[in-house]
Amino acid sequence: MKIVGVAACTVGIAHTYIAQEKMENAGKKAGHEIAIETQGTIGTENELSSQQIQEADIVIMAADVKIAGRERFEGKRIIQVPTEVAVKSPNKLIKKAEEVLKQKQAQ
Amino acid sequence: MEISEILNDHTIKTNMNAQNKEDALNELANLLLENEYITDVKSFMKDIYAREEKGQTGIGNYIAIPHGKSNFVKEIGVAIGINKSEIPWESLDGKGVKGIILFAVGNDNEGAQNHLKILSLFARKLGNDEVIEKLLQSEKTEDVKKAFCN
Repeated sequence: MKIVGVAACTVGIAHTYIAQEKMENAGKKAGHEIAIETQGTIGTENELSSQQIQEADIVIMAADVKIAGRERFEGKRIIQVPTEVAVKSPNKLIKKAEEVLKQKQAQ
Repeated sequence: MEISEILNDHTIKTNMNAQNKEDALNELANLLLENEYITDVKSFMKDIYAREEKGQTGIGNYIAIPHGKSNFVKEIGVAIGINKSEIPWESLDGKGVKGIILFAVGNDNEGAQNHLKILSLFARKLGNDEVIEKLLQSEKTEDVKKAFCN
């Protein structure tokens, strides 16, 4: 499936990028297409295109602060967790995304 | 733009012998002071501890990433300590830590975009299990640099 997401932590120096790396690795390992935008001290990087968002099956927000441009994801299925969860259990998080999508398809 | 630009031989310490978190932070902060990344250890530590209070900086796998923005930072940098033994630390997996990466970042980062970018690439590496494994096994400064730069 196609996953997009945003990572943003309190200080915007460390957890944001660790979460990005972990989610992208876990997503790829599980055979998904995944792109994670980061919103940190340096600003927004790896910004998601409207096409990426449109095509995404699910959105993962790993954030401890308010996400900039949240309206871009309106109408999408969103999983929201603190960055800690993405850092601690990235594989579980991807699994959860798979389950949420399955439920959605079953409806 | 290379991660090696942010690593400094003089702020990397392997075979560190800290007994607890305070020891480790002090030792690393002093390295940052000696190499002119920060201007005052005590004040810098206050800002680091302010972030520690907001949540765990132990990210699991025996790694801690104490950080915080501080007015007492002159130049963006990192100090890395590989401790001989595990020390207690608030962490996501409940274990102690052996590898401590202390980030020094100022509140005013105008003109520092390039350094911030490198720091973000560096932080990203800490999310990679292979990098962490190599880092924890580092015996020498050179090993630490290799862990991040390969």
